[in-house]
Amino acid sequence: MAVRPAVEAEGLVRTFGDVRAVDGIDLSVAPGEVFGFLGPNGAGKSTVVRMFTTLLRPTAGTATVGGHDVVSGSGAVRRTIGVALQDAAIDPLMTGNELIRLQSVLHGIPRAVARIRGAELLERVGLTAAAGRRVGTYSGGMRRRLDLAMALVHEPEILFLDEPTTGLDPTSRQALWEEVRRLNTENGTTVFLTTQYLEEADQLADRIAIIDAGKLVREGTPEALKASIGSPTLRIDVQPGSVEAARVALGAFGPDRPAREGRVSIGLEGGAARVADAVRALDGAGVVVEHLELDAPSLDDVFAEATGRRLEGAGDGS
Amino acid sequence: MMAGPGLALAVRQTIELARRSVLTERRQLLNVLPGLVFPLLLAAVYSRQFSRALAMPGFPEVDSFLDFILPACIVQAVSFGATAAGTELALDIENGFFDRLIASPVARFPILLGRLAGASLVAAIKAAILVAVFLAFGAEVKGGPAAVLVIMAVAALLVLAIGGVGQVLAIRTGSQEAVAATFPLVFVGIFMSSAFFPTALMSGWFRVVAENNPITWVIDPTRRLVIAGWSTGDAIQAMAVPAAVTLVTVSLAILALHRKLGRP
Repeated sequence: MAVRPAVEAEGLVRTFGDVRAVDGIDLSVAPGEVFGFLGPNGAGKSTVVRMFTTLLRPTAGTATVGGHDVVSGSGAVRRTIGVALQDAAIDPLMTGNELIRLQSVLHGIPRAVARIRGAELLERVGLTAAAGRRVGTYSGGMRRRLDLAMALVHEPEILFLDEPTTGLDPTSRQALWEEVRRLNTENGTTVFLTTQYLEEADQLADRIAIIDAGKLVREGTPEALKASIGSPTLRIDVQPGSVEAARVALGAFGPDRPAREGRVSIGLEGGAARVADAVRALDGAGVVVEHLELDAPSLDDVFAEATGRRLEGAGDGS
Repeated sequence: MMAGPGLALAVRQTIELARRSVLTERRQLLNVLPGLVFPLLLAAVYSRQFSRALAMPGFPEVDSFLDFILPACIVQAVSFGATAAGTELALDIENGFFDRLIASPVARFPILLGRLAGASLVAAIKAAILVAVFLAFGAEVKGGPAAVLVIMAVAALLVLAIGGVGQVLAIRTGSQEAVAATFPLVFVGIFMSSAFFPTALMSGWFRVVAENNPITWVIDPTRRLVIAGWSTGDAIQAMAVPAAVTLVTVSLAILALHRKLGRP
């Protein structure tokens, strides 16, 4: 007998006018799992999260969170979940302490309990010293950490994080990842996380779903997804005029993969052992190689293989 | 229906949200000050310019023009704060704080009432400050301390009445600018009332408009409390008009919120 999924969607659709922002999504997240929802800007990630968090009604299909339907059981869903939405919407005129207190009241936590737990949470996210200061003076990383602490005041079973590290510097990003990992391992909190960063999905998620234009295009563990790509990617920069010639010369070495302008990418069958042959073939075709790299399969390759495009901002992660 | 403990929690949530709105208002005093200073300035200018109007036949028996425009000044000051109850809600919607509220198990009406109650409290305090300034400059409230309390209550209720409209717009449009754009309407409404001149001395269509303007219905009895003395009837009328409007506008705001959240 399978356990009840923490988060589940069946045929989930959301339209805005003629636009099908979410176009028939099925997914299931097991309790205790960290689920990464990866996709470019505008793919429909936030729309899905807004439906799971009862902020938006599905146009069609069903979604359940903690076993409660997001429409008929929206009240129960709200009691089950913690939510940290994009842009950390927190009032800059209030202090960290005040916001934690407000959030506790919103969740109906008795004052005495709220005081203790609030202090613990602020300590946990490293904001004890700043808790009496107005949020307007916080850095981006501090705001996200406060946002996370606020999402945890009622010890939710399931935590939704919508692009928790977008716009953060690498150190702040690492700190937030640490916290999410700790929550998951120590408290057993299920985490549903959206991100446009490949590295974030790779580092944090037990399982990943890739969304593009409102549809799920791949789903699985990062390892399985990368293994499905098989061969490593050979990327070669050539002079602008010889892209076509290079592509023809490399045709025998493996399938063409999406690449940016002025570059040729192929899945190099046989791996590193075949690099020398490939360069010789290019040389024979009179193509001058300006730069060459061979990368083990990455989630970006998975994304590219599924959608025919590279993920925006892929450069900063992998 | 909401159970007892649920109601107690909703009240606690409303108070906490009201507290937030008072707190944030206090922390941006520069935004609050114009609402106090501008009406006072206007009062100072008018009471110099129009002091001779008091001698006109048909002008109510009054010691100084200052006494006469005290209610107008308060209504004007209040209208600043009332618009803020709408624009602040719109700001919450724009920046996502509203989503935080909606995604929590908080009942729906504290979200609206909290903001309004906060603004309402601030308005009552502003009214008290204005009355104190007027008294310092030689005005006199004939109705005594009871009349001052009524003035504060009227200020508080007017914020609910006008703020409710702002909230409906905030919910419908989710845009601060759209809500702020209604402010001049309230302002014109005040000028087209008996605020600065008795309707008895007006003529033509302007008089018709002023006489049927709800702001006049509030200002006239309030003014009588200031210049003539205590009257229970006037006190009730002054408070009943904004209370009735409040009932309508706040209901509309709650309805708008339900529709917004329920929209598939």
